Amino acid sequence: MKLRMMKKFAIKKKFLVWLLFFTFFFLLFFAQPQFSQEAKPAEQGKALKPEKSPEKIVPSPANIKEAVGIYVFLAWMWLSIIVLIYFLRLKIKEVDRLHRLGYFSGEKK
Amino acid sequence: MRIAIQSWLDERFGLQAIMDFLKKKTVPQHKHTIWYYSGSSILLFLAIQVITGFMLAFYYKPTLEEANKSVARIMTEVPLGWIIRSVHFWSSSFMIALVFIHLIGIWLVKSYRNPRELTWMSGVFLLIVTLGFGFTGYLLPWDDLSLSATKVGTDIPRSIPVIGAWVTKFLRGGDDVTGDTLTRFFSFHICILPIFIFLIIAVHVYLIQKQGMSLPLAVEIKKEKVREIPFWPNFIYREMIVWLILLGVVFSLAVFFPPSLDKQADLMAPAPEGIKPEWYFLFLFQTLKIFPAKILFVSGDTVAVLLIALVGVLFFFLPFIDSKPSETKGKILTLIAYAFIAYAVAMTAWSLLE
Repeated sequence: MKLRMMKKFAIKKKFLVWLLFFTFFFLLFFAQPQFSQEAKPAEQGKALKPEKSPEKIVPSPANIKEAVGIYVFLAWMWLSIIVLIYFLRLKIKEVDRLHRLGYFSGEKK
Repeated sequence: MRIAIQSWLDERFGLQAIMDFLKKKTVPQHKHTIWYYSGSSILLFLAIQVITGFMLAFYYKPTLEEANKSVARIMTEVPLGWIIRSVHFWSSSFMIALVFIHLIGIWLVKSYRNPRELTWMSGVFLLIVTLGFGFTGYLLPWDDLSLSATKVGTDIPRSIPVIGAWVTKFLRGGDDVTGDTLTRFFSFHICILPIFIFLIIAVHVYLIQKQGMSLPLAVEIKKEKVREIPFWPNFIYREMIVWLILLGVVFSLAVFFPPSLDKQADLMAPAPEGIKPEWYFLFLFQTLKIFPAKILFVSGDTVAVLLIALVGVLFFFLPFIDSKPSETKGKILTLIAYAFIAYAVAMTAWSLLE
């Protein structure tokens, strides 16, 4: 029983480590070009040029209302994701139990 | 009411047969199961690409005068247009990354072996088409950077002997990158490549269903009984967790790191400094750069392009080269896979730091 719990914990830990690894990998890897786009001209030895080309469009929320709307949406989205994952984990436990009992194959062990 | 609708649909579509198939389908559970999640996640990102792509196509105009302006309009005037474009951008990167991860995973666990050779080959085709999406989509904003990168990218095939010049001309729709290239890339991006990707996915998924889920070589050699769970609903619930997390990450990245848009491309202007392709082409780009201008009496570019093409062909025919993966040759090919990963990461990092 203890061994099974330890195994389960190890799998969860492994999953979390992988998840964190990929999240940070993507964040670091993909964010880099964005940072470079916003690098100050002085760093590139072009101190006399304006900081940003006037034609360059760096997207952002149009106004404070849109910005608040987006951040509230993001917060709700993550909250919903966490709640859904919690329910999905419960469902997984249940369907795994049913599978062990042979419910899906129509057999009873 | 629900049962009546269900039976009406079942009579016409045979839904019960599909459900029965899904219930019978099983997924092996072992320490490499994580690789199984990458396939369905690719389909998730493809769906996001299709939806956001449709939305962008409502406003995008693929002409020399209007392309950049229409993207600017999407980003500044269309309500939440910048987020749609950002989700499209990030989702494409995730999709390509996952295709790479999926193929490397299959390579490492040796799931390409008999009788799954065609599944592997269709997967390589999918990688090529996905990269094609990235390459053609990069030009569409029609800004300085995308124009210059496309000039460099379409010039690379020119180094191939005999057919090289023709390939470059075909890609550009002429001798140089012009408005014709833009419309050509647009039709590739929204018509030709989608047809290819859906056809190849159909073949790929059919082959997976036909052959069943593969067991990694290491697990198969042990000859132990592997625990299996039903695909529906046990595995689908697990996949849903992965999809939800990926969706959350993509939307968050799209909000906090949206892609910018440079000024309209000028066909007569010199190429800006520090042109770089998207991250997924960086290791190839850096490989081309490290080759000298001349190797003996042959151009360095020609040698590099032919070498890359040779590696691509070997990669495509991997299941036939490594027909008995448990033997020494198979182990050497596993080491080559690790070496390839290290090389691609090192070259990408080098190019980013330059």
